[in-house]
Amino acid sequence: MEKVAAMPIDPTPVARPKNAEPWKQISLSGIVTIVLASTVPLATGLLAMVLGLRFELALLFVFLPVQLLLGVLAGRRFSGKRGQADAILQIFVIFFAMSVVVLLVSVVWSVVERGSAALSWQFITQNNVYISGQTSLEYGGLGHAIIGTLLIVLLSTIVTVPLGIATAVYLTETTGKTRSTVRTLIQALSGLPSVVAGLFIYAMFIASGLTQYVGWAGSLALIPLMLPTVTRVAEESLLLVPQELRNGALALGSSAWKAFWLVTMPAAKSGLITAVLLGVARIIGETAPLLVTTFAANNTNLNLFDGSIATLPTYLYTFIASNFDTAVQRAWGAAFVILILVAILFIAARVLSRKKTAKKAGKK
Amino acid sequence: MTQLSAQDINVWFGQRHVLKDVNLLFPEREVTALIGPSGCGKSTFIRTLNRMHELIPSAGLGGKVLLDGVDIYEPSVDPVGVRLRVGMVFQKPNPFPTMSIKDNVLSGLKLASRKHADPNGLVETSLRRASMWNEVKDRLGDPALSLSGGQQQRLCIARSLAMDPDVLLMDEPCSALDPGSTRRIEETILELKEEMTIVIVTHNMQQAQRVSSQTAFFLAEDGNPGQVVEFGSTDQVFNQPVDLRTNDYVNGHFG
Amino acid sequence: MAETQPAPIERRSLRAKPFSKADRAFFKSATWAANSSIVLVSLIFIFLMWRSWPAFESQGVDYIFGSTWDNNPENLVMQIGPMLWGSILVSTIGVVLAVPMAISLAYFIVFMANDRFGKIATVMVDLLAALPSVVLGLWGLLIFSPVAAGWAEMIYQGLGFIPIFDNSSGNFLRSPFIAGWVVAVMIVPIIASVTREIFSQLDRDLISASLALGAGRWSTFRRVILPTSGGGIVGGVLLGLGRALGETVAIFFVLNLVFEVNWFNILEDQGGSVASMILAKFGEAGQDEVAGLMAAGVVLFVVTLFVNMIASFIVAKAQPWRK
Ligand SMILES: Nc1ncnc2c1ncn2[C@@H]1O[C@H](COP(=O)(O)OP(=O)(O)O)[C@@H](O)[C@H]1O
Ligand SMILES: [Mg+2]
Repeated sequence: MEKVAAMPIDPTPVARPKNAEPWKQISLSGIVTIVLASTVPLATGLLAMVLGLRFELALLFVFLPVQLLLGVLAGRRFSGKRGQADAILQIFVIFFAMSVVVLLVSVVWSVVERGSAALSWQFITQNNVYISGQTSLEYGGLGHAIIGTLLIVLLSTIVTVPLGIATAVYLTETTGKTRSTVRTLIQALSGLPSVVAGLFIYAMFIASGLTQYVGWAGSLALIPLMLPTVTRVAEESLLLVPQELRNGALALGSSAWKAFWLVTMPAAKSGLITAVLLGVARIIGETAPLLVTTFAANNTNLNLFDGSIATLPTYLYTFIASNFDTAVQRAWGAAFVILILVAILFIAARVLSRKKTAKKAGKK
Repeated sequence: MTQLSAQDINVWFGQRHVLKDVNLLFPEREVTALIGPSGCGKSTFIRTLNRMHELIPSAGLGGKVLLDGVDIYEPSVDPVGVRLRVGMVFQKPNPFPTMSIKDNVLSGLKLASRKHADPNGLVETSLRRASMWNEVKDRLGDPALSLSGGQQQRLCIARSLAMDPDVLLMDEPCSALDPGSTRRIEETILELKEEMTIVIVTHNMQQAQRVSSQTAFFLAEDGNPGQVVEFGSTDQVFNQPVDLRTNDYVNGHFG
Repeated sequence: MAETQPAPIERRSLRAKPFSKADRAFFKSATWAANSSIVLVSLIFIFLMWRSWPAFESQGVDYIFGSTWDNNPENLVMQIGPMLWGSILVSTIGVVLAVPMAISLAYFIVFMANDRFGKIATVMVDLLAALPSVVLGLWGLLIFSPVAAGWAEMIYQGLGFIPIFDNSSGNFLRSPFIAGWVVAVMIVPIIASVTREIFSQLDRDLISASLALGAGRWSTFRRVILPTSGGGIVGGVLLGLGRALGETVAIFFVLNLVFEVNWFNILEDQGGSVASMILAKFGEAGQDEVAGLMAAGVVLFVVTLFVNMIASFIVAKAQPWRK
């Protein structure tokens, strides 16, 4: 015992070494491997293309094999036999991950490029009355569809948000017996095909003759699609609130309701707002359920309770498959507007969740 | 006149028997210390005294807790009312992060839907009683999380005091704090005992001797439910323990 | 053990009913809201069943297994066999294409990238998940299809002697191959985010220990990472499969729906999709035909619900920390 106590102790902190997370890094030899092994294949691949080979063929049959070969050689040179397998693994991982990047960039770029060409003040403010697929882009627009989308999504949100958050409250703040059933069903709903949600509302209200195509039916059809997102994100953010806070409130003589309203909910606020934003982002581009419930319209309709309403997705849908260039341009314009709306919601949600994590980090 | 006593308290979590036949009497305006190795059920026991115990889904209970002769577990008793009279301070400081210092002190009023004639006065007296008024009087609007750990814990004490409880339960209130803050909280306890009954769980033998007038020693022997091995005046438990295991524990031979 | 059993101690009920009105209302409304999801799922099933019953009744088992759709109101024949098989074929292609991309992305984010790159890639996955399917349909139709048709033609020229890559029409657009690619783009983020979460919960010490012992990335992946997270990944893949089976609008634009089963000629310009077929036929359908489309909705609902239940069960089992 004494000997241990007598040992000299050096309490000064040592700077965290760069390789404190060795499993995360591409080691130096890995970097060399990749640098070396990526210039040569690139050059041969380009050469093959100059000699007249198609890009895809050059990529798959010249670049990739050369890359693999050099990777294996370099890997073996640096770390022996296991270097070979590692090189192959890393090359494939990067190749596949890059293909996702390429696909995503292709989608976003084509929408931005073509959509922005269609955009003008008149395009986002005017409606589609007297416009056909051949009408010049200087006339008409999707103002009515923007308004329609906002109205329909607003009504869905008004219904779904309280429902979803209350469900999340049930899952996190109570000891209710049906919690696991509810959780499973919510999970299952998140995989509900959107067209089925539309058919359901159609069957319930339109096929039974209660109403014609109408805005509110579209809002209802979006509810089962939005509900799982709102519930899941809200549940996660409520779970992040430490149990000690709830106990602190209850120990002060609080009712369960007051503890939730004054302590738990404020602590989870940014997460709950994120839940709403992601929920809206989930439904804002939904097409199929709206086609079978509100259909499309050319005029500006501000009344969710009377007649068809145009929305951005259905506007896009009606122009997408046309043979006329202007019609296709209108479709790209609509896609761009949808993308902007999704991006706004998405960025807002990320900023909020960043704030949340910053606060947590500050507390430590 | 407030008297708190535990009669034949038994606790289960699921099927696991965690506490067995605990009988303790907490005289008015006295400090009772609960000591014992960790895992023997001290926190569990103290939570039965203001019905925080039942918030754990698998919790089970046998026995009675009498507050002024009334069993607080009677179906007709509102747990919210019990917790208003029996306040609690937790091991880890838990000020409400979204509220300012002042709002934290007044949070109990809001949470319990109570009015107070002079909220500002109440903030001052409560913070004074928790001996932290001078440190924070100029920054009452600051967020509670801007305080140090020791200050946060005293804020939590002030928060409980603002509700003017008859009994204050403290579960290792100093275990996460530095010696300076610990000393100030001990001073606070000694002042508070003039006005209320206090039950404190502590791992610190010196602290138990400094603040308490009676001590209960809890012990759970390998796999058996926790029990009170020895209960008596602090002086007797520490200096002339009857039970050998108490002797070993207070002299630091195990636990 | 010789001592006599003491009388059992009485356990008291701790289930306190809330005393205040506010609390009762609070718990009641939360319970109502939560149970409304049970009601919702039942309502979906009941109403679709009710409206589609005439179709099931008149068509019988052939509704699922037959291959004809004739909307002559005098003699309505509705059979969705080719569509059902087409959905399965397209989803399978989508999953096969998406799995390597998604797992690679997750592996890159968790085990290869530094924090900054990892974060960027994570945001990318989330953004991809947020793209509406109609936008992907537009891209798939106008940008991607021509490119992928070129790939298909090359595959045919190189490997056309293998039956699955055969093409008799010379038209390489609107094939299951292309629809499968579009579906893959939609489900990559689903599979990737589940896999990423499972990877990032793996025991870091286990992995660094494995690497420290001289095992390479590959053997660590095969011996340590895959065995511990395989189940969860399968769950994520099933979630993606559920999504693929239900995809409607995007497939509608890039696939020829033909009522003749295309078993496996994935480059042929004929295929099927239950969800897209509903959309394609809905506009012009008469009342009886709508019943047939509702029936397709029921089939789709049951199939996706089943796949999703299994998927979420597996994912939940693989992520005990989420409980
Ligand atoms: N929420 C709970 N669920 C199940 N078992 C618990 C729970 N809380 C405590 N226990 C068990 O009860 C016993 C007593 O715990 P505790 O009262 O926290 O001990 P102490 O505070 O004396 O260290 C321990 O064995 C612990 O594992
Ligand atoms: Mg404890």
